[in-house]
Amino acid sequence: MAVSQFNLTAGQRAERKLLITVAEWMEGSQQTREILGTRTEDSSIEYNPDIETTTDILGINYTDLNRTQPQQDFDPYLILGGSKLGAKLNDIRRRNALSELNQFTVYVITAFVGTAGAYEAEKHTDCSIIYNSIGGDSNVNFPISVYYSNKITTGTVDKLSDDFTFTADTSTVVGG
Amino acid sequence: MVDKNQAVIDYLITCPQILNSPLYFNFINAKNDTNQFLTSSRDAYTNIKYVDGSVLKVYTFTIITFKSAADIAVPKLIGYENENVSDMATIQSLIDWIHEQEELRNYPNFGEQCEIDEILTTSDSPNFDGIDEQVSPPLAVYSVSIQIKYIDRSKMIWR
Repeated sequence: MAVSQFNLTAGQRAERKLLITVAEWMEGSQQTREILGTRTEDSSIEYNPDIETTTDILGINYTDLNRTQPQQDFDPYLILGGSKLGAKLNDIRRRNALSELNQFTVYVITAFVGTAGAYEAEKHTDCSIIYNSIGGDSNVNFPISVYYSNKITTGTVDKLSDDFTFTADTSTVVGG
Repeated sequence: MVDKNQAVIDYLITCPQILNSPLYFNFINAKNDTNQFLTSSRDAYTNIKYVDGSVLKVYTFTIITFKSAADIAVPKLIGYENENVSDMATIQSLIDWIHEQEELRNYPNFGEQCEIDEILTTSDSPNFDGIDEQVSPPLAVYSVSIQIKYIDRSKMIWR
């Protein structure tokens, strides 16, 4: 499969808003989604690679990447009126229902690849979204971390809103 | 797109202190009991951009109020009301009103793309900017600077 090129002009930098993280979960029988990053100034997916490097007797290094454990922190993650995910996580927190924290699907949409109507995306199933603390100073901060499962289906989304449709490239899951 | 200046004027005229005195926009009419609305900056970026594409911006303006001033010393009588002191209290009422609106989360309407986060005054009491003694009675000049912090979502691509 050919590598998709960026939909940017030569030398144009991709704005941060073009890398989108969306959480999805079931609320009863209702599929619910929410973009992550509201009021967060800086957030990156950290791959946390487990690397093993050996050197042979000739001094040549061989580096093996055993695995990655992608993680993305959102701090601050403010308690905001209208936040569906914030309400969901707070409900889990007060019940200490920890097992419910690993039932999320997370989409990473790279809107700098693809065209309107078909932006490239990765669908990560069985991810965990974990709250790290709650409190703060003038506003209630509830920072969270997304732990990606690496159970990835690549595909595209047809639009950049909560009601997007994800279309898989193939039926094969590429990770996990 | 909403004209933020007009939105703020529409908002301010619900404040009794503004409603009961003439209000001038970007014009100085140095007369007793007049208020001047002076824009300081508009749509200024605070350099706080969020990863979802929204931006925190600040709309800043100043209300300058002219009050005729008493040029006599404060009588040293307990409870005696001095004109300058009561004028200061009148102008303070604008600051109190702004604080009250913040408590109530009652804000100007900047349109659907902008969500106001906070309205605040830059000081807890009016600034005394000087006195014009060339007129009779002398005119005291007070000012109150007000900031409106809002989230501008117009550049977001996620709808």
